[in-house]
Amino acid sequence: MAERPEDLNLPNAVVTRIIKDALPEGVNISKDARLAISKAASVFVLYTTSCANNFAMKAKRKTLTGQDVISAMSDMEFERFTESLQQSLEAFRKEQKNKKDAAEKRKKEKELNASSEAADEDKEKTENAGDDDDIVELDGDEEDEEEEENGVDSGQEEEGEEEEEGN
Amino acid sequence: MADKEKTEKAAQISLPLSRIKTIMKSSPDVSNISQDCLFLIAKATELFVQDLAVETLKRSREENKVDYKDLAEIVNTDDNLEFLHDIIPRKILAKEYLSQLNGGASSDDDEDVVVLD
Repeated sequence: MAERPEDLNLPNAVVTRIIKDALPEGVNISKDARLAISKAASVFVLYTTSCANNFAMKAKRKTLTGQDVISAMSDMEFERFTESLQQSLEAFRKEQKNKKDAAEKRKKEKELNASSEAADEDKEKTENAGDDDDIVELDGDEEDEEEEENGVDSGQEEEGEEEEEGN
Repeated sequence: MADKEKTEKAAQISLPLSRIKTIMKSSPDVSNISQDCLFLIAKATELFVQDLAVETLKRSREENKVDYKDLAEIVNTDDNLEFLHDIIPRKILAKEYLSQLNGGASSDDDEDVVVLD
């Protein structure tokens, strides 16, 4: 690889940690080997990008997608990674969706809050977890934190009923 | 592990996405990169690093150590690691090389290496 102004190396500390977590305890890896694996990882990114790009170009797309990466793995003979990658992709999309839903929810509450004068210091949030059904659909259990927050933000949940009135 | 924890773990990455993106953009003809794609390449790279370390250990002479030599060996024998040939070439010490040439050692400096291939 030619040297460029941008650093195309991955941070050594992170790579070392990944290696150490993968190896059994007590196994040592030489500095040379570590550096070589780090370089290899950068080259892997480049190679995968190039392969994925081929798939995108074939499909006349200008944006690389997750599927392009999966296809690239097969092409590069790293099929053993594809199943794990699929699962990770699903998990990632789920997390993204949760974050997005939470952000939208907070936004809506802010709008509600702007029209009421209730302060954010409502400590009764915990009593009111679960009263948020009419705002955004959640999956329930996973979103305890958001539910608590929403209890604070809507500010009208002295007893839970008022929130509905406020809407 | 609860399902939620599993999901969180599967969605986590240690490698910095910004750096991965920089490397990707240095590739010619790449226009746009979706979030999914960026995430997957980061994840795949982590899997690759783990896999490489584990495979090297399996083939290494010593049970408890992974050396450059072992890595170079596997890179130069595994078909799907061909793209790494130039990056991780086999090496020998300069003194070994020189002794092969001259029939006698001439350097004690272990830092000097000669690249083969």
